[in-house]
Amino acid sequence: MTTPVSRRSRLHRKEHRAALAFVAAPVIGFLAFIGYPLVFSLYTSFTSWNGLSAPVPNGLDNFVEMMGDRYFWQSLGNTVFYMIGIPIGLVISLLLALALNRRMRGLTFFRTVYYVPVVSSLAAVAILWQWAYNGDFGLVNQVLAIFGIDGPNWLQNASTAKPAIIIMAVWKGIGYSMLLYLAALQSVPSHLYEAASLDGAGPLAKFRYITIPMLSPVTFFLVVTNIIGGAQIFIEINIMTPTGGPEFSTASIVWYIWQKAFNYMQMGYATAMALVLGLMVFIVTAVQFQINRRFQFAID
Amino acid sequence: MKSRILAVAGVTALAATALAGCAGGAAAGDDSTLTFMFRGGDAEKEAYTAAIEAFEQAHEGVDVKIIMTTADEYATKLKAAITGKQVPDVFYIDPGSVQSFVGSGVIADITDAVESSDAIDLDNVWAYGLDSYRFDGTTQGKGAIYALPKDIGPFSFGYNKTMFEEAGIPLPDPDVPYTWDEFIDVSKQLTTDLDGDGKLDQWGTGLNVTWNLQAFVWSNGGDWLNEDRTKVTVNEPEFAEALQYFADMQNVHGVTPSAGDAQTLDTYQRWMQGQIGFFPVGPWDVPTYQDLDFEWDLIPYPAGSTGKSATWTGTLGIAVSASSAAPDLAAELAMYLSVDRDAQQALVDAGVQIPNLVDMANEWVSSSTLPPANKQEFLDIAEDYGRALPANNTYSAEWYDELFKNIQPVLDGEQTAQEYLDEVQPRMQELLDKANAQAELG
Repeated sequence: MTTPVSRRSRLHRKEHRAALAFVAAPVIGFLAFIGYPLVFSLYTSFTSWNGLSAPVPNGLDNFVEMMGDRYFWQSLGNTVFYMIGIPIGLVISLLLALALNRRMRGLTFFRTVYYVPVVSSLAAVAILWQWAYNGDFGLVNQVLAIFGIDGPNWLQNASTAKPAIIIMAVWKGIGYSMLLYLAALQSVPSHLYEAASLDGAGPLAKFRYITIPMLSPVTFFLVVTNIIGGAQIFIEINIMTPTGGPEFSTASIVWYIWQKAFNYMQMGYATAMALVLGLMVFIVTAVQFQINRRFQFAID
Repeated sequence: MKSRILAVAGVTALAATALAGCAGGAAAGDDSTLTFMFRGGDAEKEAYTAAIEAFEQAHEGVDVKIIMTTADEYATKLKAAITGKQVPDVFYIDPGSVQSFVGSGVIADITDAVESSDAIDLDNVWAYGLDSYRFDGTTQGKGAIYALPKDIGPFSFGYNKTMFEEAGIPLPDPDVPYTWDEFIDVSKQLTTDLDGDGKLDQWGTGLNVTWNLQAFVWSNGGDWLNEDRTKVTVNEPEFAEALQYFADMQNVHGVTPSAGDAQTLDTYQRWMQGQIGFFPVGPWDVPTYQDLDFEWDLIPYPAGSTGKSATWTGTLGIAVSASSAAPDLAAELAMYLSVDRDAQQALVDAGVQIPNLVDMANEWVSSSTLPPANKQEFLDIAEDYGRALPANNTYSAEWYDELFKNIQPVLDGEQTAQEYLDEVQPRMQELLDKANAQAELG
C-alpha cells in the first residue's frame, strides 16, 4: 500500500514495527553468520595469515601466487573433472524414475532402496566405499573377478582414482534426483500424451517432445544445485584419499583450500582461493540462468 | 495489556537464553577449572581419565574437563579453538607446531615451572622427548621448554621369526644391522611361492616409503636438510642412492609385493597374515601384534654406507596455553600427565607407549614378559640412533610433504630417483623458504 507517509495511521506504523521485529531475527542471523564472515574473508584474502596471530596485509601477493600455483590449477582441473558425474547421474536417475513410475509390486521397496544412500551419512558411505575399492579384498574387485576382470587398485592408481570417486558420488546422489524426477513425471498432464498418441507419436517421440521438455525445470534445478555442490566436493576426497590421492590426482579445490588453511598455516592464501572459487561458481550459475531463460519451457 | 507484557517478557527470556548459549563458553576457565584436550583411542581415554581423577583428588576443589577428539579432527578443532579464543588450558601439541604456536603466543613458556618443580626430574625423562619441545626463538631443539613429552615413539624394525625358522634361515642379529646387500639377499630367500600355484605368496618385505625412507636415507649418510635447516639436500647422491635402493627392492630384486598388488595398507595386512618377512614396529603396534599367530621380534634397520642404523622417533607433547586463567595449575597438570608414575604404568600396560621415564623404561625392558623379546631396541632408538622427522623442526611441513606427492613413478620404476629428486628439490626449496619466512613473521 503506497499511502503517503504523513497519512499512515498509527496502526500501520505499529504493524510495521512488529513486522521489522520479526524480520530482524533472520536478518541479524544472516549478517552475523554470512555477511560478516564474507566481508572478513574478503579482507583476509589480501593478507598473509597463519590462523593464529593477526593477519598481515600483503596486497595482491596471494592472487599472483595462485596463478603460478600448479596445485591450484590441478585441483581446479580435478574438480571440473568430477562434474562429469552430473550428466551421468541425471541420465541414470531419469531412467530409474521412468522405470519406477508405474504400478508394480515392490514399488515402495525399490524407491526406498534407491533413496537410502541419500540419507546415509556421507562420511560413513565414503569409508564403506573406501573398503569396497580396496585392491585386494574390496567388493568391487571381487565382483569384477566374477567376470574375469582383474580390477586395479582403484584409489591408489592415478588414472582410476577420480572415476572411482565419481562412481561413488553418483551412487549416493541418484536417489535424490530420481525422487524429484518421479514427482515431476507424475505431474505431466496426461492429456498431452493422449493428444500425442492421437497424432500417431510413438513412445520415443513422446519421450523426446513431451517428457523431456516438461521435466526441464527439474533438470535445470538439479544441474544448478549439483554444479554448486560439486564445486565444493570435499568429504569424499578427505576420507577416501587423505593425502590428496596418488600424484595429487583426486584433490579437489576445496580440499586444497582446507589443506593450505589448516595444515600449512596459510589461511590468507586459502581465503583468496576460496574467493576465486566462489566467484567462478557465481559466474557459472549466472550463465546457466541466462541460458535457461532462452530455453525454458513451461505451461502457464 | 497483560498479554503484551507477558509476550515481551517471553521474547526477552528466549533471546537471553539463546545468547547465553553462545557466550557461555568464554566464562569457563576460572581458577579451579581446567580443560584438557587430547586425542587417542580407548586405551588412552581410560588411562588419562584415571590419571585425571587422581590429580583432582590430590588437588582440592580442582575440576578438570576432558575434551577428546578423533585423531583426524584434532588439528582442525584445536586451530578452531585457538581462533575462537577458547584455548584449552592443557592440550596435545605435535613438535611441528611448536614454532608457529610460540610465534603466535599460543603456548606458555613453562621452563621455570618445570625446573623448580619437585614432581619432575629432568634427567630421568628422555632427552629426545624434552628437546623436541625446546625453542630459543630461532632453532628448535634448544632453549626454553614449551611443552612436556606425552610420549616418544621409537619406530623400530621387526621380523617374522616363525617364517625364518620355517625357511631354515639363521635369525637376524639383534645387535648388528644387516648391510643393504645382506638385507636383499635374505629377503630374496624369503620371497617364495609356498604352495606351488605359480604365484608368490610370501615376500621379504613391503615397506611404505613415507615412514621407512628415513631409515635408509639417514643410515646412508643423507638427509633432507642441511644443519641450519635452510637448504633442502634431497638431491644429493647419498639420498638418491637410498631412494633408488628403496625402489629397487620392488622393481629390480622383486622382494616386495608388486606395484599392482600392494600399497601401504595392503602390506600391513599381509604382514598381519604372516606373508611378509620384515615390517616396521612402533610401540603403538605392540598390543595389536600380541594377537598375531606367528612369533616376531625387533632388530635394527639395515644400515647403508655409514654402517650404523638410523630411524625416526615420533613424539607428541603436552603444552600449556599462554592465555590460561590458572597457569601454575595448568603447568602442574601438564607435568603430572607427562611423568606421573601411575599414569605411565597404565599407559604402558595398555600398550600405548613406552615409559617416559628412563628408569621406568629400563625396568620395563627387564621385567616385562610380553613380546617383543628385544624391547631394548626401542630404548636404543630412544637414546641412541633415533632422530626427529625432518618436518618436526620447521615452521610447517609443506616442503616435506612435497617429496611424497609425486614419488609414485620412482617407486614404480618409471623414473630414476636422481631424476625425480633433481626435479623436486627446487619446489621443496621454495616451500622451505616460504616456511622459514613465515617463521620470521611469527
